[in-house]
Amino acid sequence: MAVGSVRVGSAVSRPGLRVREWLDHERFLGPAFVTPALVLIVLLVAYPFAMALYFATSNAFIGRPSHFIGIRNFVALWQSDSFRQTFQNAFVFTGASVALKLVLGITLALLLNQQLWFKRLIRGAVLLPWVIPTALSTLGWWWMFNSLYSVVNWSGIALGVMDPPGPNWLGQKYYAMTAVVTVNIWRGLPFFAITILAGLVSIPKELYEAAEADGAGPVARFWYVTLPMLKPVLAIVVLFSTIFTFSDFNIVYVLTHGGPINSTHLFATLARQVGLESGQIGQGAAISLYLFPVLVLVVWAQLKFVRRQVY
Amino acid sequence: MAVTHRPLLTKIALHLGLVPFLIFALFPFYHMALTSLKTDRELYDREAVPLLIRQGPTLEHYQKLLWDTGFLTWTKNSLLVTMLATTVSVIIGTIAAYALARLRFFGVNTFGTGIFVTYLVPTSLLFLPLAQVVHWLGLADSKWALVVTYPTFLVPFCTWLLMGYFRTVPKEVEECAMVDGATRLQALTRIVLPMAVPGLVCAVLFAFTLSWNEFIYALTFTSSSDEITASVGVTSELIRGDIYFWGGLMAGAMLASVPIVLLYVFFLDYYVSGLTAGAVK
Amino acid sequence: MEPMNRRHFLTATGAGLAGVLAAGVPPARGQQREISYLCWNNFAPNSDKKLAEIGQRFTKDSGIKIKIDHIAHPQQAAKYASEVQSQAGHDLIEMRMHFPWLYETQLVDVSDLVAEVEKKYGKVLASAQETANVKGVWRAVPQYHTFFVAAYREDLFKKASLKVPDTWEDLYTVGKELKKMGHPVGIPISQNYDSISTAGPVLWSFGGMEVDKDGKTVRINSPATEQTVEWYKKMFRDCMEPEVLSWTDASNNDTLNAGKAGWIHNPVSAYIVARNRKLVTADGINHHRSLAGPHGRHETDVPRHIGIWKFSKNVEPAKEWIRYLLGKREVFDEYIMSGDAFNLPVYASLLDHPVLKTDPKFAALKQEGVQFHCYGWPAPGSDKIQRITNEFILPNMIAKAVTGTPTKEAITWAEKEMKRIISE
Repeated sequence: MAVGSVRVGSAVSRPGLRVREWLDHERFLGPAFVTPALVLIVLLVAYPFAMALYFATSNAFIGRPSHFIGIRNFVALWQSDSFRQTFQNAFVFTGASVALKLVLGITLALLLNQQLWFKRLIRGAVLLPWVIPTALSTLGWWWMFNSLYSVVNWSGIALGVMDPPGPNWLGQKYYAMTAVVTVNIWRGLPFFAITILAGLVSIPKELYEAAEADGAGPVARFWYVTLPMLKPVLAIVVLFSTIFTFSDFNIVYVLTHGGPINSTHLFATLARQVGLESGQIGQGAAISLYLFPVLVLVVWAQLKFVRRQVY
Repeated sequence: MAVTHRPLLTKIALHLGLVPFLIFALFPFYHMALTSLKTDRELYDREAVPLLIRQGPTLEHYQKLLWDTGFLTWTKNSLLVTMLATTVSVIIGTIAAYALARLRFFGVNTFGTGIFVTYLVPTSLLFLPLAQVVHWLGLADSKWALVVTYPTFLVPFCTWLLMGYFRTVPKEVEECAMVDGATRLQALTRIVLPMAVPGLVCAVLFAFTLSWNEFIYALTFTSSSDEITASVGVTSELIRGDIYFWGGLMAGAMLASVPIVLLYVFFLDYYVSGLTAGAVK
Repeated sequence: MEPMNRRHFLTATGAGLAGVLAAGVPPARGQQREISYLCWNNFAPNSDKKLAEIGQRFTKDSGIKIKIDHIAHPQQAAKYASEVQSQAGHDLIEMRMHFPWLYETQLVDVSDLVAEVEKKYGKVLASAQETANVKGVWRAVPQYHTFFVAAYREDLFKKASLKVPDTWEDLYTVGKELKKMGHPVGIPISQNYDSISTAGPVLWSFGGMEVDKDGKTVRINSPATEQTVEWYKKMFRDCMEPEVLSWTDASNNDTLNAGKAGWIHNPVSAYIVARNRKLVTADGINHHRSLAGPHGRHETDVPRHIGIWKFSKNVEPAKEWIRYLLGKREVFDEYIMSGDAFNLPVYASLLDHPVLKTDPKFAALKQEGVQFHCYGWPAPGSDKIQRITNEFILPNMIAKAVTGTPTKEAITWAEKEMKRIISE
């Protein structure tokens, strides 16, 4: 163990003694250690966040004086067709993406956890989608779903699983939603797979052996050993992913621009359309903060759960 | 013991099970790579087979990107910003995580949750007031603005990841060292950190990827060709009105993922074991 | 010693990481006159290069340094909003269409400059004036525009002896034949700006409008709109393919250049790209005027202006630059020539520009006697009109109708949405 090699002598004789004692005090050391993070967040996030809150409750318009209008923006938004549609899309998009990423992620992680040939190579390949800059990879996907050159449809037709000309991926609402969900899964799956894989690796072998001795089959072992042991990991991964998926922007912006007929708009893309392109920062901010209170509650509850589970 | 052929069959079945996943992950990558190597004429040929290059591969898009645009400068900026932002964030995250994981002090739980909640603040408009802050700091149109702002979304992540990891280092080891006379700081730097290397690598990789991919801050806080990052430069150079330079865009995507791919290949094992400990315990 | 400003204060005290880092950044450029111009990245890469060259000459002639940055048009909104919010950034910005209305309060009055330029080149075209002149004050100086024409496959038309259409109704007649030949018409009906740039002119030429001149009365629920929607329905059914519902601004270009579409409504960008990339379709493509309807011929364009931010500390040098770039005939001509007919001047006496002689396919780009208008016309480009446009209500109304919603219902939906925005 490394303990033996720690050298301590020199610090004792110096006048730094008092400082040392201070630093050993948790009441001081704790706050001192979180200060940089705190400063960063207060300086760079708190002010913008307060401004965003003000925007959301004002009639702010780019470059013009504004005043407080309470929750008028939130009420007005609810009357807009495109917002209500967006509201619904956000849940469908997030729900479908996260659920599929979870199921596929567990499957992929279970496969990767086996003895494999070219293990390193395969793990590396699986991670690739997570590595390409999103701004460019979504363009690549747009090219793949493009009505004219769609390689997806070309392959589908060549394999005989699609009738020419194949689905109108970005022009029909269900296909368009499928397309954006697919790209989100493509991008997010590596994160799920690798994180869950890490969780799998750490489950003590003895538990499986014990279960096997009790006569549990593979399905039962998965259900009664793997899944419960993975719960803390899954909770954190799902939490992170839900938040990131919920606020996704790039995929929809590049692939469909929210269309057809707003059927793929998400909060972030609609907020941009209203807040930046039309200049109504107030309403734009209200769109992005619409669910903030709810999300805070969810996160708070979930983190509490995670802490209880994990620590 | 004699090896029966059943494990082999199972193994083959396992690999077959992986095939769809690999196709899903790699096919778009393959297609982008292919697009970057095709001539314009073949790209726009409706009769061409999209899965093959038949009119001869060309490096013209790569050449144009590398020599006719500021791509090299942009990549250098990206690397600089990413490395600095990652370093700063991991350091800040490390000590904050240590405090949250090991020390008891007033407000520790609130801080833990609070730091996470910053993720709920949507960046889609946050960048407007943040642009103001950047201006006040005198960092407008400078890559330093990115070095300063990227940690806002990296630090919470690093903190949470490392916090989990530090808890896996048995308290006793640390206490043992302190009984021997080591200070808290020494315990941290000489005991906890060396044991947490996989966790740190993991945090580094995550932070690196997130800042490498960042777009909206890079777009709004920088504008000179000498200051912008690769994603911003490539898209503003190669999307012109209703014209997309597909070959070049995809060449950009390929080149911009190379540094990270290398990084991952080198650190992948650490990466997985880092996550193992960090996320679970 | 001059009093410390915030930047110096932060640097000096090293308040936090940011202050330390700020020390590595050169201090604000002080005495030398220097201006910065944020321009879009032109269709024609050569035009950006030419602009840089003109910038250097300007510095030599005037002693004012100029820094020119470029940005892709989808990113302009975010960038401009952040410059306005932080009251810092460039001195000059390129503005597309109704941007001067959007940023009205932040833009310097440049009426004097416009008057100077107009004295030289004649009146500004209607659309440029409607967009850059906000409530009687010029908020930006119009420079050039890109306008919508018909780009069609002349070779296919000749082969099948089809008549070049003159009205939207004619287009339906030839469109049916084109689709049978496997070369459908390509008019996007989706959430993109090309969709609006076609739907607008069609609606106007049937005598309709979205909102009246007063900017308040919603006029979308009219027989003219019904005719427009019915026309789109039959076009969608008989002349086009469902792909048009999925298109972005680039799609109609691609479809024409790939040899699929027989007719599209777009600026000349499609042809120029086909020509420059030596695509097989390039020779067969030609252009003709945008189409007419029972209420005349209404054409649309994308005028581009240059504005000066009010927060700029270099308004006078910035004006110098505009005078240099636009006010000098030979410089302006040179700039236009580098743009390959993507960009044509918006001043009355420059309409028959020499750039049009550089390619016989540009012959149809005659602008004399054309009344161009931008989206939302005849309503002024107020916030409300922006919002109506940016919510894609017009193309979505059409998209609803062509995918099965009864015409009346689709129109009532659009009317309801527009009224909501107006009354907000």
